[in-house]
Amino acid sequence: MEFKAIVFLPLIGAIIAGFFGRLITDRGAEILTTALLFVSAALSWWVFSRVGFGGETIKVPVATWFTSGELEVAWSLRIDTLTAVMLVVVTTVSSLVHLYSIGYMHEDDARARFFAYLSLFTFAMLALVTSDNLVQMFFGWEGVGLASYLLIGFWYKKPSANAAAIKAFVVNRVGDFGFALGIFGLFAITNSVSFDVIFSEAPNLVGKEMSFLGYQVDILTCLCLLLFMGAMGKSAQFLLHTWLPDAMEGPTPVSALIHAATMVTAGVFMVARLSPVFEYAPTALMVVTFVGAFTAFFAATVGLVQNDIKRVVAYSTCSQLGYMFVACGVGAYSVAIFHLFTHAFFKALLFLGAGSVIHAMHHEQDMRNMGGLAPKIRITWAMMLIGTLALTGVGIPHVGGFAGFHSKDAIIEAAYAAHTTYNYAFWMLVFAAFMTSFYSWRLMFMTFHGKTRAEPDTFKHAHESPMVMLVPLFVLALGAVASGFVFSEYFIGHDYKEFWNRSILHLPSKDILHHMHEAVKKAEWIAWAPFIAMVSGFVLAWLYYIKMPSLPAATARTFRPLYLFFLNKWHVDELYDWLFVKPAMWLGRVLWKTGDGRIIDGLGPDGIAARVVNITGRVVRLQTGYVYHYAFAMMIGVALIATYFIFQGGGLLK
Amino acid sequence: MPEELQIYAPLLPEIILALGAMALLMYGVFRPETESEAETVGWLAILVMIAAAITIVWYGNGTVRLFEGAFVDDAFARFMKLLTLGGGAVALMLSFDDFRNLRIMKFEYPVLVLLSTVGMMLMISAGDLIALYVGLELSSLALYVIAAYRRDSVKASEAGLKYFVLGALSSGMLLYGSSLIYGFAGSTNFQVIANAAKGAEVATNLWLIFGLVFLMVGLAFKVSAVPFHMWTPDVYEGSATPVTTFFATAPKVAAMALLVRVTVGAFPAIAMQWQQIITFIAIASMLLGAFAAIGQTNIKRLMAYSSIANVGFALVGLAANSAEGTQAVLVYMAIYVVMTLGVFACILSMRRADQAVEEIEELAGLARNNLPMAFALMILMFALAGIPPLVGFFGKYFVFMAAVKAGLYPLAVVGVLASVVGAYYYLRIIKVMFFDDSKEKFEPVRFKAGAVIAAAALIMIFGVIWLGPFTDYAMAAAQSFTFVK
Amino acid sequence: MGLEAFFFYIFSIAAVASAILVIIARNPVHAVLFLILAFFNAAGLFVLLGAEFLAMLLVIVYVGAVAVLFLFVVMMLDVDFAELRAGFIKNAGLGAIVGGIVMLELIMVLGFQSYSSQIIGNPAAPAPLVTDNVTNTEALGRILYTKYIFFFQVAGLILLVAMIGAIVLTLRHKEGVRRQSIAVQVARTPETAMEIIKVAPGQSVFPKNEGPAE
Repeated sequence: MEFKAIVFLPLIGAIIAGFFGRLITDRGAEILTTALLFVSAALSWWVFSRVGFGGETIKVPVATWFTSGELEVAWSLRIDTLTAVMLVVVTTVSSLVHLYSIGYMHEDDARARFFAYLSLFTFAMLALVTSDNLVQMFFGWEGVGLASYLLIGFWYKKPSANAAAIKAFVVNRVGDFGFALGIFGLFAITNSVSFDVIFSEAPNLVGKEMSFLGYQVDILTCLCLLLFMGAMGKSAQFLLHTWLPDAMEGPTPVSALIHAATMVTAGVFMVARLSPVFEYAPTALMVVTFVGAFTAFFAATVGLVQNDIKRVVAYSTCSQLGYMFVACGVGAYSVAIFHLFTHAFFKALLFLGAGSVIHAMHHEQDMRNMGGLAPKIRITWAMMLIGTLALTGVGIPHVGGFAGFHSKDAIIEAAYAAHTTYNYAFWMLVFAAFMTSFYSWRLMFMTFHGKTRAEPDTFKHAHESPMVMLVPLFVLALGAVASGFVFSEYFIGHDYKEFWNRSILHLPSKDILHHMHEAVKKAEWIAWAPFIAMVSGFVLAWLYYIKMPSLPAATARTFRPLYLFFLNKWHVDELYDWLFVKPAMWLGRVLWKTGDGRIIDGLGPDGIAARVVNITGRVVRLQTGYVYHYAFAMMIGVALIATYFIFQGGGLLK
Repeated sequence: MPEELQIYAPLLPEIILALGAMALLMYGVFRPETESEAETVGWLAILVMIAAAITIVWYGNGTVRLFEGAFVDDAFARFMKLLTLGGGAVALMLSFDDFRNLRIMKFEYPVLVLLSTVGMMLMISAGDLIALYVGLELSSLALYVIAAYRRDSVKASEAGLKYFVLGALSSGMLLYGSSLIYGFAGSTNFQVIANAAKGAEVATNLWLIFGLVFLMVGLAFKVSAVPFHMWTPDVYEGSATPVTTFFATAPKVAAMALLVRVTVGAFPAIAMQWQQIITFIAIASMLLGAFAAIGQTNIKRLMAYSSIANVGFALVGLAANSAEGTQAVLVYMAIYVVMTLGVFACILSMRRADQAVEEIEELAGLARNNLPMAFALMILMFALAGIPPLVGFFGKYFVFMAAVKAGLYPLAVVGVLASVVGAYYYLRIIKVMFFDDSKEKFEPVRFKAGAVIAAAALIMIFGVIWLGPFTDYAMAAAQSFTFVK
Repeated sequence: MGLEAFFFYIFSIAAVASAILVIIARNPVHAVLFLILAFFNAAGLFVLLGAEFLAMLLVIVYVGAVAVLFLFVVMMLDVDFAELRAGFIKNAGLGAIVGGIVMLELIMVLGFQSYSSQIIGNPAAPAPLVTDNVTNTEALGRILYTKYIFFFQVAGLILLVAMIGAIVLTLRHKEGVRRQSIAVQVARTPETAMEIIKVAPGQSVFPKNEGPAE
């Protein structure tokens, strides 16, 4: 019952707020949805303690969804440690974001709708993480996609918000296409979409081939890559990442909830959930590692030069997701989920902090128009500082530190332990860590320190956010500080096997966590490498933005092509525009103007309509008004009928 | 009633109407010539019609033939007579306000309508060529007069004259055909003709077929089927609107009944041949009605073409030559009468500054000025277009089903296509009412017209409920005939 | 028999010829006169059939009343026949073709096919023979008021409608026309007709009410 409550309470909230928002007023919708979410979150923590530490795996059947031939889709909740972790993340962040939104959105006049969407999103996300089969997961997958679309376009009167919403939806379609193909493929091979069946079948499929697009391909590699394509779309990995920065058009709490803590991590969750399949497809895992590492690197470079405070955080998210995929790719699923867990806290904290800044600055988002805000909004500054410390992974190796330190450094170590070719994953991640440190501190310095560049009027009126917005920040800050050292022992430490309890499969042959600990023991510098990257990033940022504020401009001049390349996000958007959007527009226009307009309409409706008008014109002209014309028409009728019978009817000429 | 006169009871409705007409004529002549006296005559005429209708229901039973078969009273006749009386009475009621407006409120109009109705009822009951002709002439002559009733209007006079001249031509053809048939059969009685045709050789039959062709030309003229329809638009437009209302309802019903009686009753032996004629004029009527209506700007002209198309649809049922087909004709005509009365009541309500307006574009934005009327007219237009679940749809459905059952697939297909084209101009009126820029308000709808509009719209919406019993009743009426394939 | 056939053809040919002349005559008065001639010939045919009463009716009603009325109308109305004729000639070709086709078909059907034997000589009501000692008029009356009473009555109604129609469409009560009302005239007495007024010196008198006497 409590499991069902966790999943369906947000749905109830969404339905009531969405359909009866007028009835219960905006204030009622806020309170109702938020309260339901907090109940759901409390239950989640309780379930987490039971399942995560009690070692139970529970299945709760809800209903038979549909049965069609061999395809049987049941709706049941699968509660194991992996799910429990996700439940905690989703409900906690979501409830805090609900609370925060009460303050942040208080000037909006469609709050009932907003909270309905938020709760709907939460329901879909919970449906995703509790799914027991691929179809149910796909339902949640599309559900969060829909909610994301609605929320990005929440301010639908802004054209840019609409465009961003459509972009997010369309780019995700590309990924979903792969995901759906992967599901079809798994069903075709195993005759089931249920996880249990698929997981037990997976070992038997190793080395088998199937025909795909006319090629003989390895079944597992092919299917895993297709599934990963879905994950790439949802988790904004390189090539399918373009929607994420644009999604910042949505309200900031949405960015915190969907585009930092929960939905974008769905891809990571999916790979971890399907670890019993991915483990048998090493080639696919290699691709996952590579894409993840590259995204981590790529997004960090772009993040270096962005000026919009939210976009910096967005690219940071993109980058951190890359880290998680690297962990998945090298087989350290538990590390990936650990980073997902900690990241949810500090990234949500950063987003909500950024939101607080934006709120204080009257919806100013450009960091070039900020600076020196620290004294004005002291609490927000402190919270952002904690978030930044967590993100950059501040901590002393072997001693402990902020949340990011425990999870991110573990990923870097795992990447080293996996011995990728030339250790590219390791080096890329370390370099990305350096850049992460740089842009995070750049954000801090540009926003809070130095001389203010804000409009004097705005600056004067900058004010601390209300308590309803600050409380969520405190809670998240607590998570950002403590979630690392409290949980690291269970997630990735000695107890990890008992903790995860078969919800994640690590093949015994390549026990990556063991190798990781071994590698660190052998080469101490590996543990220090990210630390050094982090510190140097901080120092460099301090130099650039506090010590010598003229340096950034000078650097940008010196490396102008590179600077522009980064600033324009590697020109991926332009490339897509040229490659897909323009041809699609051209094709659409041709089909519309020529195909539809000239050929179908021309020969079809319009053509027929034109003929009808012609005939009408002629018929109307027959009506001359002269009696003898009318009489003559009658005579012609008589002659016609009579002649007909002379020749055919009566048979005189037979 | 004396015993020996008892057998003439089926004739009682006609006698009541005729005597009532004469009594009202006397009343009108000897009372002062005022509008209110004229309206009294009108209401009395409606009472007479109601009395006749009650007699029909009261005395009607089985099939009775009087005057050696010249007068037939059967379930079919009773159905059509009730329909004719209903249409005529409502049309008469609608005329009062408009005639007062036009300053032509005189007692002769109700009297002429009554006498015309007598003629129609005789047509419906005709079992003999002579009865057919005298009934037709009685009703037509009165119609020619009331077409020109608004005698100060050039248009109305022209309409009456045109109708008269062309009507005379059609009567001539009808008489010529009758003489050929008489020459063949040696009798004017339908039953005798039917028997005579049964045994005849095909070659000799051409006599009969030619007679039939000319006879049907005369009847097709009365129902305004293509190509004998030419008078319809001019007369509909030219006559005063209440007269047009009457034209579009009662005479159509009577002429259609007569057509059924002549074809099915007198010529079952050459059913093949008249089915072909009916098929031809049905197709021509449906197509021409649909196409020509599109080009109209005057709503009365539009309704003229609409009536042409509707007659075409009804003829589809007749072409099937089956009980289902005849049932469909009956149902179709009944629905048609209700729809037409409703639409004309709307047209009568299109008045500004005491002046009737008749252009379709004058309806622009009616939805904003008078939503109930716009809504009712929309329902009626949807019904005319044959959109389910309105009753109008079922009329078309029955005729097309009958045609399909009889194997006349091309006819059904053409019919459906024509109704698609026809839907265009009905929907255009809805578009004009709801989406065009609003014009000046009409004067408030008068009570009588409003009641008719509301009743017609409600019947269109809720009539489906009683459709079952109604079609059963129509079926019983249709089975007055025996059908020979 | 020979004589009867001779007269039949005379009358028939004359009737058809005059009917054609009605249409093509240039002068409308001539056309009406040809119409009268056609009626006369038709009356002759009736006589040949032994239907004297109908023949007389035709002469009296159609020739004596209808056609003469036509004549008056044609002479009194100024109809531009030249214009009508222009339209006639313009469409004559097409009309001739359609009319010709119909006529040809009728000739084919009626001319070359015969009545079936059982039907010939089986009229609904045969004309009385001379030996029956029944006049034509009486014979007509016998069936008209018995067998055909129904049609007769309806025909009466038709005439009533025609009468009402003619009155409705033409009768106008003009305002301000002083009509003679004999009853009122007769009912006049000095008391109602006269008023005695004393006129004071230097004053004039105006009638109390204008217009016709009540």
